[in-house]
Amino acid sequence: MTKQKTMKKVILIFGILSLLIFIKPLLGFSSNATNTTVSTSVSQTESIVEKTFVDEALDGIGEFYHFTGFANAQSGHIIMILIGIIFIYLGIKFDYEPLLLIPIGAGVMLGNIPFVAGYQTGIYEEGSVLNYLYFGVVKGIYPPLIFLGIGAMTDFSSLIANPKLMLLGAAAQIGVFATFLGALYLGFNLPEAGAIGIIGGADGPTAIFLSSKLANGINVLADGTTVKNLIGPIAIAAYSYMALVPVIQPPIMKLLTSKKERLIRMKPPRAVSQKEKMIFPIVALLLTTFISPSALPLLGMLFFGNLLKESGRTERLAETARTKLIDIVTIILGVTVGASTQADVFITKDSMMIFGLGALSFVIATAGGLLFAKFMNLFLKGDDKINPLIGAAGVSAVPDSARVVHAEGIKADPHNYLLMHAMAPNVAGVIGSAIAAGIILSFLG
Amino acid sequence: MTPILLYTDPLVEGYIILITGLLIVFAGLILLTVFFKYGMPIMLYIYKVITRGRDKKVKDISPKVNQDFTGEIAAAISVAIHLYLDEQHDEENAILTIKQARKLYSPWSSKIYSAYRNRL
Repeated sequence: MTKQKTMKKVILIFGILSLLIFIKPLLGFSSNATNTTVSTSVSQTESIVEKTFVDEALDGIGEFYHFTGFANAQSGHIIMILIGIIFIYLGIKFDYEPLLLIPIGAGVMLGNIPFVAGYQTGIYEEGSVLNYLYFGVVKGIYPPLIFLGIGAMTDFSSLIANPKLMLLGAAAQIGVFATFLGALYLGFNLPEAGAIGIIGGADGPTAIFLSSKLANGINVLADGTTVKNLIGPIAIAAYSYMALVPVIQPPIMKLLTSKKERLIRMKPPRAVSQKEKMIFPIVALLLTTFISPSALPLLGMLFFGNLLKESGRTERLAETARTKLIDIVTIILGVTVGASTQADVFITKDSMMIFGLGALSFVIATAGGLLFAKFMNLFLKGDDKINPLIGAAGVSAVPDSARVVHAEGIKADPHNYLLMHAMAPNVAGVIGSAIAAGIILSFLG
Repeated sequence: MTPILLYTDPLVEGYIILITGLLIVFAGLILLTVFFKYGMPIMLYIYKVITRGRDKKVKDISPKVNQDFTGEIAAAISVAIHLYLDEQHDEENAILTIKQARKLYSPWSSKIYSAYRNRL
């Protein structure tokens, strides 16, 4: 043991010595600086070389400084980095959709590190790594893959057991169309307004899909103007409001429902046979895509994923789709969408308006679902009556809004478990918002 | 898909999209509702009739599903099965200890042979 220790010491001393020898020229000592026998002329040239060397080094450092974030930082960058940190904080501290907020928050920081343009660094610079990853967002590749995973993890049985709850998913889509109209009034052109409207669908992938088709900064309108690139603001608005569902929805629920209505107990849904579960994705795929073919990439993948889950023969594929695949896509999607919020592109008046409209759309969608549930109750009798709270789950935001409904139901009556009932309008909301996206796309695409 | 602009005023166009869009979304989901409310039971009934055993008569087959067996019961049973299967494997205490294993001498692993091999 002692031998080893002394060996270590020897190696350490030797290492330090050799390091010093290598560093010496860098520190400005020439190898013969200590040599006293050198003639004066030689030492003079040596000193000149020394000086220029130090200057060059300083110039180099100065040059380097110009490339650092410190030299290029602007207030926009700092604000966006702070927003990124807030996203991460919200995700960690309050558990608001951490799987989305943490990648997006990290992406926001990544996208707003100040850099010198022209070196293939930024997400909007052609050829940069982030730009390649962003390709999947711009071309709308990631959203259908996410939908495949969602399909493979969603159980539609509560919807099959109680198909009338499907209407709540449709009712909440009023948020989409109302926001669309609001955006038009604020002066956005039609495709942009369509893309902004879909924030009300409370569905991140759908929002990205539609904005990548309509407001991508590439399409040219009939009058010759190019649409703005609003993918970043729309995606961020959609995802942040989705994460804030537990904050936005409860006050509206309390406002629009009476205590008595919140106490309504729904009869337990019937058991659904495996056959029905298998038929559902096939029939729903055919019906919905025949109605709205533009939503094919989304709905097709959603129901395909569900078929993988329910067929009972492709468990391996379903398992991959709902775990590894969706995780990989979520990571890349989150980071790139976050990074697309580069301050100079993101901090604009348009983005602020989109955020305002987004909040409004969530409120309208929630109210639409709640009010429609109350409207349905006018026609339903006895234990068929539905608890209007579950209408709020009609905004998709799977499964967060269903959880919020459940939590609110528990607050009114600790033994009223609404989660299973709320999942029905919740998944119907996903279908509804994808259909709505398809309709908007076919009108304006 | 070419944009069909019926009117030049985007607001008018917006209202048209609002109304038609909502109608289509509702129509689509109502169609699904109707199918799963009425179409599916009929389909399943027909399937039952087609695949019935020889000895069974058509009138014995009921299109009604068992109303008493609710989703909640199914959920309770599946949770119970899940918990039971989870317990099949006893829980490890997850504490790893490294114990000194008593080394058995074996000429195969002995250093002394390789050290003195050259002398042989």
